[in-house]
Amino acid sequence: MKINFFNTIIILVLVLAGNLFSANISLAKVNIVATVPDLGSIAKEIGQDKVKVTTLAKGYQNPHFVDPKPNYIIRLNKADILLHVGLEQEIGWLPTLVTSARNSKIATKNASGNVDCSKFIKNILEVEKGSVDRSQGDVHVEGNPHYMLNPRNGLLVAEAIYKKLSEVDPINKSFYEINYLKFKKKLSLKIIEWEKKLKPHKSSNFISYHKTWTYFFDWAGFNLVDTVEPIPGVPPSPSHIAKLYNESKTTKINLMIQANYYPEKSSKIIAGKIGVNFLSLPAMVNGNEKVNDYITFFDFLIDQITSKLDS
Amino acid sequence: MYSRCIVIFSFIFVVLVLPIQSPLFAEESELEVLKKQVQEMQRNMETMLDKIDELEQKNNELEKKADEKTFFSVPETPAESELKPETERRVAKPVSPKQRGTTFLDKAFQTFNPNISVLAVFSAAYFSDDDPIVLAENDPENTGINLQEIEVAFQSVVDPYFRFDTFFSFSTEGVELEEAYGTTLLSLPLNSQVRAGRFRSKFGRINTQHRHFQNFVTLPIVAAEFLGEHLNPTSVEANFLLPVPWFSELSASIGSPDVETASFDRDSDSNNLSRLLYVFHLKNFFEISDSLGLSLGTSFATGSNGTGPGNRTNLFGVDFFAKYRPIKTDPYQAVTFQSELMFRDAESEEDGDLFDYGFYTQAVYKFHKRWSTGLRFGYADTDDQIAFEVEEAEENLFPPSGAGQISNEEEEEGVLGLFGKQYRISGMLTFTPSEFSVIRLQYDYIDQDFDSSESVVFLQFQYSIGAHGAHPF
Repeated sequence: MKINFFNTIIILVLVLAGNLFSANISLAKVNIVATVPDLGSIAKEIGQDKVKVTTLAKGYQNPHFVDPKPNYIIRLNKADILLHVGLEQEIGWLPTLVTSARNSKIATKNASGNVDCSKFIKNILEVEKGSVDRSQGDVHVEGNPHYMLNPRNGLLVAEAIYKKLSEVDPINKSFYEINYLKFKKKLSLKIIEWEKKLKPHKSSNFISYHKTWTYFFDWAGFNLVDTVEPIPGVPPSPSHIAKLYNESKTTKINLMIQANYYPEKSSKIIAGKIGVNFLSLPAMVNGNEKVNDYITFFDFLIDQITSKLDS
Repeated sequence: MYSRCIVIFSFIFVVLVLPIQSPLFAEESELEVLKKQVQEMQRNMETMLDKIDELEQKNNELEKKADEKTFFSVPETPAESELKPETERRVAKPVSPKQRGTTFLDKAFQTFNPNISVLAVFSAAYFSDDDPIVLAENDPENTGINLQEIEVAFQSVVDPYFRFDTFFSFSTEGVELEEAYGTTLLSLPLNSQVRAGRFRSKFGRINTQHRHFQNFVTLPIVAAEFLGEHLNPTSVEANFLLPVPWFSELSASIGSPDVETASFDRDSDSNNLSRLLYVFHLKNFFEISDSLGLSLGTSFATGSNGTGPGNRTNLFGVDFFAKYRPIKTDPYQAVTFQSELMFRDAESEEDGDLFDYGFYTQAVYKFHKRWSTGLRFGYADTDDQIAFEVEEAEENLFPPSGAGQISNEEEEEGVLGLFGKQYRISGMLTFTPSEFSVIRLQYDYIDQDFDSSESVVFLQFQYSIGAHGAHPF
């Protein structure tokens, strides 16, 4: 009997060891690097504990001007999936990092893990047609890259992320699918709620600092009367401020908003002159302490805007 | 007795045989794990299908309730376009992916042309002395308007495995192939990346920066004295990402000494591996906070110096860079510090070993989105006892007018450059109308051997057209 006892213990130990050994393979998390927190937040919703999400740009940072710090190279080096906005938003900093990352999964446009999320957006706005030059300022030839500010585009990106995750990690496909459907439901219900909230304010007239809010205005049915920047990327001149003032005489401006990463000084002065409410708002997830995911971000935006429009 | 034997045997089995046998057992258990996973998947699928049904039901209910038309169809429904005012519809032209890329112009853009860019650097200069002190090839040379450099770049991926970058430098004296190199895009062993071709060696920091990316009109003294305009031998370089928690990159390159520098040159008398130019660099980057990053590097280069058979130069370097940019509070302001120290040990035919050193340190403060100002101090001590004698001998032969001395010393000493101590203080103010143009005002005060000084004022213009690749940190 003693012999049998020892034998069973040995077998048990071996089975356990074997299990641990092989279980390790499926325990490895999928490494996702997102250039901006909007994409990172949705990836986290879909991947949950089966993925490790790192974000490069901060939510309160202008995503056009990010320092390509070498420590980002380490993150990209380990990435299975790179999620980026595309439409030249990261052109000033991402390419050099991706080249240095030594990672064939993301190294080229067509690499398996290189996901340009703009490819999944059906309505790209402000696509430049015909010949373009830089006298027009920092124009994005392929279209305005701030598409995540329309929550309906969030649904499309979520679907794309779910599909890519299922491709990279097929064993957990059903897990990702369920999370995707959950998120889709949650966001869809919220969209209906937000649209109801915004409906009474449709056709409100806005001034913004940069053309950051094009997709948001398009979705909410707001009018962009003018921008504080005369052309994209150029700070306002006195003559442009005078032009804005004259415009406010002919068109009633309801609200002036800007992304919180732009300087507020000149906007505040203009808002004071025109006599209109001014809001500096986060333009991305993590843009301030209160907006930690895609849905709370829109909750915050719509709360702030509708309450200012009501007053 | 028997049972004890069994115990000992089983102990030996566990300790010795287990590691060898485990794959077999692992295979068995892997099967079990797979089975479990399949079962789990089935369960997941079932719950998922339930969820889908549930969702569909809820969605239908909601749709009825909200009386909204098809929600998930993104192409605009009438209800949606009603929401939009007339003006908005005119401004925002939605273009479907199918529509994109069909015009003639779009097709032209879609060809396999590389990214092409032209960067022009011109400087108006006023030298206080009739014989200007010019240290680097692309520094402004005369009072008047100078063409410093026209850089023409062609950059593109080659295929899924390589990218290729080419930079031609045009000046009034001709064309130089500044850089032309391929970079691997593969996941290679040891986290390595290979560059092959002609490129600016990773020796310190300033040597990897093109003229238009530098903060001052003139090149730092120490770089001009020891590295020439730039150290860009035709070489093969391997870059390893070291497995440490911070960014640490070790670079090693082997190159031909086909460069015009004061420190390295071809050895005309011999042709073997030890006469080649070897460059090593270790770069470390520390992200102290979201706003503060520090970079610390060390470099070493060794190769023949052309003064005689077997004579070589060893060049050591330390570089430091810090950038403080408060991205949360003041994202358009930044302070950067950059400093490099170099030490050179050169063998020469008659004079034995020559020991020289130099450094520069600079601070640049970007105080507005479009404005920045900076200060730089550079110093190089290439003094040597023997050199001193040469100088004195010449002083006796020629009247002591600074420039005359220099040209003769250059002839006398050839590749190892000037002898003497010199320092330069530079102050600049830069206006950047956009990311593609620069206007820079700079004042230089240069003193050689503490007896001949010169003041220079520069007004630099830079233009950039085309699609130029992003610059590293």
